[in-house]
Amino acid sequence: MKIMEFCKVLILLSVFWVSAGFAQPSKVLIVNSDNAVFRYGTIASEFKKVLQQNAYQWTEFNLNSHADAEAELKQLIQQENPVLIYCIGTKAYSLARNVASNKKLLFSAAINWRRLDIGEGTYGVANELSSAQEISLLRYFFPTIKNIGLLYNDKFSREYVETIKKDASALGINIINQPINDAQEIGDALNELLPKIDMFWIISDPVVLSSKASVQQIFQSAQQRKKPVYAYSDVFIEQGAVLAISADLATIGRQSASLALMVDKDKVPEGTVQNPAGSTVTLNKCALDALRLNFNQDALDSVNKIVECNK
Amino acid sequence: MKRILPVFFIFSVFITGSYWSAYSNVGSTIYFYNPETNINNFATLKTAFDTYLVNHGGYYFQPFDSRENFEAVIKEKKGDIYLLSSWHLKALQQKNVPLKIALVGTSKGNTMQRKVLSTKKDIADVSMLKNTVVAGAGSEEYIHSVLKQILGKEQEALLKDIKILIVPKDIDAIMAVGFGMASAAISAESGLDKLAMINPNQFRELHSLGFSEKDYLLVAATLKKPERQEAELLEVLRKMSEADAGGENLKLLGIDGWRAMQ
Repeated sequence: MKIMEFCKVLILLSVFWVSAGFAQPSKVLIVNSDNAVFRYGTIASEFKKVLQQNAYQWTEFNLNSHADAEAELKQLIQQENPVLIYCIGTKAYSLARNVASNKKLLFSAAINWRRLDIGEGTYGVANELSSAQEISLLRYFFPTIKNIGLLYNDKFSREYVETIKKDASALGINIINQPINDAQEIGDALNELLPKIDMFWIISDPVVLSSKASVQQIFQSAQQRKKPVYAYSDVFIEQGAVLAISADLATIGRQSASLALMVDKDKVPEGTVQNPAGSTVTLNKCALDALRLNFNQDALDSVNKIVECNK
Repeated sequence: MKRILPVFFIFSVFITGSYWSAYSNVGSTIYFYNPETNINNFATLKTAFDTYLVNHGGYYFQPFDSRENFEAVIKEKKGDIYLLSSWHLKALQQKNVPLKIALVGTSKGNTMQRKVLSTKKDIADVSMLKNTVVAGAGSEEYIHSVLKQILGKEQEALLKDIKILIVPKDIDAIMAVGFGMASAAISAESGLDKLAMINPNQFRELHSLGFSEKDYLLVAATLKKPERQEAELLEVLRKMSEADAGGENLKLLGIDGWRAMQ
């Protein structure tokens, strides 16, 4: 009889725990480096929309509104016990990694994520499109371009340039790369490089882009030689880049949320870091017209923003 | 004095007539919303179309990023011509909104398109899409509806186990499969042609698991039989591809011309 009673209690307890587990929706902690920054805010907003559609709960922690962020974040994690911590920006990820290395972490908007301290149970969406994505889209606009040149510093960008060369070669494009040790070498390097190429590609290299003067020098030289400039960011459009292709922020937020849902269901291999799936394209028609450079007009269906000359 | 009065009268009629004729079109607007794309190019569309339309009869263009707001202006009969996807048009017609197609968009001579579900070749059939991410450009409701149609009754139950990732445009969705951000993509067939052109290696890695029914590309519709002003605006729209600037504007919408519906 005692055994029967014991079994009943056990069954009741099991039912209670199982139902309690199902009743509680999964909770995600969003740690934002600075929610006043537009890009971080956009990503967070799209991330939350997807969580809401999937009946997930979340708590937000913005580093910019806490005096002792580390201690308060630690306390919040203990209190909330989230299934996953979503970190927006490098600062948020670094802090979360310090205080909750045993938790599943998902990052996005971290510049050069390969330099982050990545552990087991870390997932992410990179900040930049892969070079293969960029080159594919570049070909959509300029199908006849064959030789693209770029400047880089070997210490900072060697691996990235090797990847670009490999990806470009697979698509029949020849990358002519010229290493520089410091910004003083830009002028001579451009004199050597520009005559050999159809287009110049500005990559995110801290030595090449060390100052405004360096950037101006690139655009002035390219203009003198009538060579178009392609850039990884639309901040260079104003300077005269003909095309800029970058990651779409809203998609990064949605993609991070999709990844979070899959991570929660253990459907993603540990350590998965994805490239952004969405792109934003800015086309500078004013610069194209000045160079009398034709582009594939069908590609206009993929343009977010067209820059015309001020009349 | 007798001679001056009739001249003054004719002059007044001419001036007022010209005035009203010139300004009678003010406010005539084309309203646009397309749930089959998610590209945020509204400012560019507005500038490009307004510049063209103002110079071709004083018309205006108003793009929408919200289905609710677009449907609200249809309800209030604010627009003269509405540009929308045929999927959306059918949905509105089912709700007894009396929209009628006046023009259908064309692309390389076609007025119809179908959507395709593409995956890498290691995904042999749709049942393998359980617990995966499917990328698509457009509203979530639209992608869900296309996916449901492609999966059919037999596989409809899979829908609840598929996560939809909304991306800005078709080419992003297809490349998301190639680069491993999604297991499958919903796109127009023409999207695959683009991929074949810009990244043939990736194109060769993909195959199609199913197709939707054929449907019109973008359509231009009116709520009633076009009167003179609407007919004039439709004619301006129909002839857009004949001018360089007009043709470029249509390309922003993913079409290259219009064909009148009989």
